[in-house]
Amino acid sequence: MRFSIQPSAAEPIYRQIVEQVRRHVDSGQWRAGEELPSVRSLAQEHAINPMTVSKAYSLLEAEGLLERRRGMGMVIAAVKPSSRASQRLALLAPALQAAALQAAQLGLSAEDALALFKRCLQDQARGDHNDDNP
Amino acid sequence: MTILESAVQAQGLNLSYEGRSALDCVSLQVPTGAVVGLVGHNGAGKSTLLRCLVGLTLPDSGHSELLGCPSAQLDKVTRGRLGYVSQTADLLPWLKVWQHIEYIGHFYPRWRAERAHALCARLALRESAKVSALSVGDQQKLALVLALAHDPDLLLLDEPVASLDPLARRDFMRLLFEGDSARSAPRTVLLSSHLLTDLERVVSHVVVMRAGRVQLQGEWDALQESNGRSLEDLFVALNGSPA
Repeated sequence: MRFSIQPSAAEPIYRQIVEQVRRHVDSGQWRAGEELPSVRSLAQEHAINPMTVSKAYSLLEAEGLLERRRGMGMVIAAVKPSSRASQRLALLAPALQAAALQAAQLGLSAEDALALFKRCLQDQARGDHNDDNP
Repeated sequence: MTILESAVQAQGLNLSYEGRSALDCVSLQVPTGAVVGLVGHNGAGKSTLLRCLVGLTLPDSGHSELLGCPSAQLDKVTRGRLGYVSQTADLLPWLKVWQHIEYIGHFYPRWRAERAHALCARLALRESAKVSALSVGDQQKLALVLALAHDPDLLLLDEPVASLDPLARRDFMRLLFEGDSARSAPRTVLLSSHLLTDLERVVSHVVVMRAGRVQLQGEWDALQESNGRSLEDLFVALNGSPA
């Protein structure tokens, strides 16, 4: 399980973790019973505060998305993913609304903005993650 | 050992030099386990505040405590639980790195030599080198090793990573959270830095200082959520220019 953490984003780091777990579970990429990295290892990997990771995991546990298993740590809980494409699109909408607002403020045309989004999708598929890991 | 709610407390610290106010009624509450980023321009009072907290500078008025002990009269037990790195590392240039480590170790009951060696290895610091021959960055690394090898409960660091390259800075950020896993409470850290993106990775709280005053203090997640900005952007909004 890979997380992409961007410290200078407008979104707090704990929220980045929460949203990434949600999206991967909702899309069915991370399945029930799969184990998450331990608090310590995720914090070490990204050089972030372990309490931030704990906070994210606790929130997801309270939401029922994660379960604490004895001797294993946190695993994805056995809930049905909302696999319908429309539900997954609804999860993506806020990020795109924010991008649309910025595109308008920057005076970009819809074609240019869409071309850029397409390029981002292609980069993602190629594995050029915008991650900060050395 | 009882766990205090606040690892650092300061009330109404005032200090002026030659008619200029270096600290202007500074009050702070740092909960145990917090990692606090202290930010502000040069001359904002960050170093003076840290020096007052560790008792190296006495304020004109006001009171502060570290781990429940007054800063002006830190006892031996409290000093043994502290790690402090000043902006300019106070090192003994005639010693070799390993000798320096051994020398400082005598002052700390909780000192662990193997921990000091492991820290040197992690930071790629050569122990056979003479201190006087170290680069500024390596001197900073040595000062950090000396501040961390006794697994302190409270760390106060003044611009600890200014001379380190990005990878070493990342390693240093990881080291902040390493220590005896059996410790009764997580380590509390108060660190100043101009490198706000590094701070953003690790801080739970931020304190923004300007002209000797605390301009803003609070939990970073909450501040970020209510502002929707990175620390750099928030700092620029408050101060008009980058840190």
